[in-house]
Amino acid sequence: MDIIRPRLTDYHGIHKNQADLDFAIQFFDEDIPLYVDPFLLWKSPSQQDNALHTTITNSFNYLNYLIKKKREDEALSILIDISECYEVGLGVSKTRKGTKISKKQAQDILSLFKDIPEYSQFGFTHFEIIQLYISGISKDRISDITCNYLKSFLIDYTIEQCELNKIPMEGVILDSIYNYKTNKLDINQKVYLPVNPLTKEPLIFTPKRWLRFNTWINYEDYFQKYCPKDEIFNPNEPEERVKVLNFNRENYGTVEGYIEYKSKTSEDCKNDPLFSQIPILSAKRKLSQILKLNTGKEDGADMKYEELSASLLASIFYPHLDFAQTQSRTDSGRHIRDLIFYNNRDIDFLDEIFTEYNNRQLVVEMKNVKEISRDHINQLNRYMQDNIGNFGVFLTRNPLSKAMYENTINLWSSQRKCIIAITDEDLKLMVEVYESKQRTPIEVLKKKYIEFRRSCPS
Amino acid sequence: MNKSDVDVFEKLSGQLISVYEEMSLLSKKSPNDAVNKFKLKFLNKLIDDSNQFLTDKYKPYDDFNIFDEDDMPQNSDVVFILSQYLQCFEKLRADNVIIKNASWYWKLKGTKNDEVDEYGMIYIRTVRPKKLKD
Repeated sequence: MDIIRPRLTDYHGIHKNQADLDFAIQFFDEDIPLYVDPFLLWKSPSQQDNALHTTITNSFNYLNYLIKKKREDEALSILIDISECYEVGLGVSKTRKGTKISKKQAQDILSLFKDIPEYSQFGFTHFEIIQLYISGISKDRISDITCNYLKSFLIDYTIEQCELNKIPMEGVILDSIYNYKTNKLDINQKVYLPVNPLTKEPLIFTPKRWLRFNTWINYEDYFQKYCPKDEIFNPNEPEERVKVLNFNRENYGTVEGYIEYKSKTSEDCKNDPLFSQIPILSAKRKLSQILKLNTGKEDGADMKYEELSASLLASIFYPHLDFAQTQSRTDSGRHIRDLIFYNNRDIDFLDEIFTEYNNRQLVVEMKNVKEISRDHINQLNRYMQDNIGNFGVFLTRNPLSKAMYENTINLWSSQRKCIIAITDEDLKLMVEVYESKQRTPIEVLKKKYIEFRRSCPS
Repeated sequence: MNKSDVDVFEKLSGQLISVYEEMSLLSKKSPNDAVNKFKLKFLNKLIDDSNQFLTDKYKPYDDFNIFDEDDMPQNSDVVFILSQYLQCFEKLRADNVIIKNASWYWKLKGTKNDEVDEYGMIYIRTVRPKKLKD
């Protein structure tokens, strides 16, 4: 059975929520849009994380040592080699493969050690600050360089997590691992790691607590909050990035001041969750917008319905169902939108739909129609045959008509397939309990299922 | 009915009234909100005890026994059902009280140790049945 947007854990039949795991669960076909922020290691209360931050800083400053010893070529080749770390699967790449930095960019980075006396003499404490000097270096590079410096630790961490969660590992050859003792890259190292079953490429996990959408110290933040714009630009002059970067090179004090400011406010620096629920207020707002929509396609009502429902359901079913994606498919010329969830089997109802209906994922088909017709049921039924499991959900405006309800019961009687419909009324109850926390919204789904089963012949 | 039945009656009806009042408050605030499992557990126990006490004769509905947790009953559902139970308790009381010297009394079967009248009955003071008007 194919899984939609496959994740490592689901592939191996490990039914755990992202919320329960210490590492970020990787997708096989694309990257997680988060980055390792070295600042989180620096501010972490854990001595281990602090020590790892020191490792990164020392390793980066070793490049300065190489330059001073007239071994710039060596420094250049290390820097280029550690500028991409595809095994961790972080970033925005759709293919999980990025490219390394150019020689020119690497030279620019190394020139900081020569051009700015403070770095030449004392080195960096937060190397991510190179973003404020070099064009084209941002969070993804910082994250990759960090991961490469910590690769040896991350491999141990991955193995530990795999053993803990019984994720299978295979012997793989890693192109390079940074060696902290020799400050060189060990080439073609054999290690045991989990692999991407599609490409057989190794995977390295990263702890959730190190991940942010952007690094704490970053160019955009500096430009908005700290950069003395009136000193850099003349009035009415276009605000070009290069000018800021050049200004920074000549005004070490300003950058240092920014670092001090960011260190003082480090209390506010928190890791970003991989998924965050929408607040209650916004859930209620979304519901009232949904209820106001007309059925049908007029004024793009169907698109709005799908958009609002997608974000509402993804939030209210969390953490019991991890949201996988919205998916579009075309079935006999008709455009269909689905919401796909991973089934984590963490409550009895979800476990039942896994064992009885083989649902490793749950599909919710959104239909902004006045009435669900036989065609709609047949479409969902066909889709369920393909790959999804035998339990499917309609999200629609009104309850099924008696004839259509009979139709779904017949489907259960003949093929043991279960189709239930969540309506506006159910959404209201879901949002109500989402707010009051007296019950969980997923229980509304269970309620509908139990009502359905009561109507089925025993 | 006897003396111990009156004890049970007072306990259960007192509990029903207080639960009814609490749930009415919740229901006024958000009638469509679901009742949590903790409350449901005790509510069901109370309803189950009441069913046994009322027996089929006084039970409000033949086909309602207790709330199903999976049905996610809402505040207003619970208030509705509780009000039915309160009515049925009152009906049972009305059927077992009499007026004597301008006061209302439970008319109960006495035991050997009680001071019974010529019919073997004892009388315990109570309030006027609620459905009667002045």
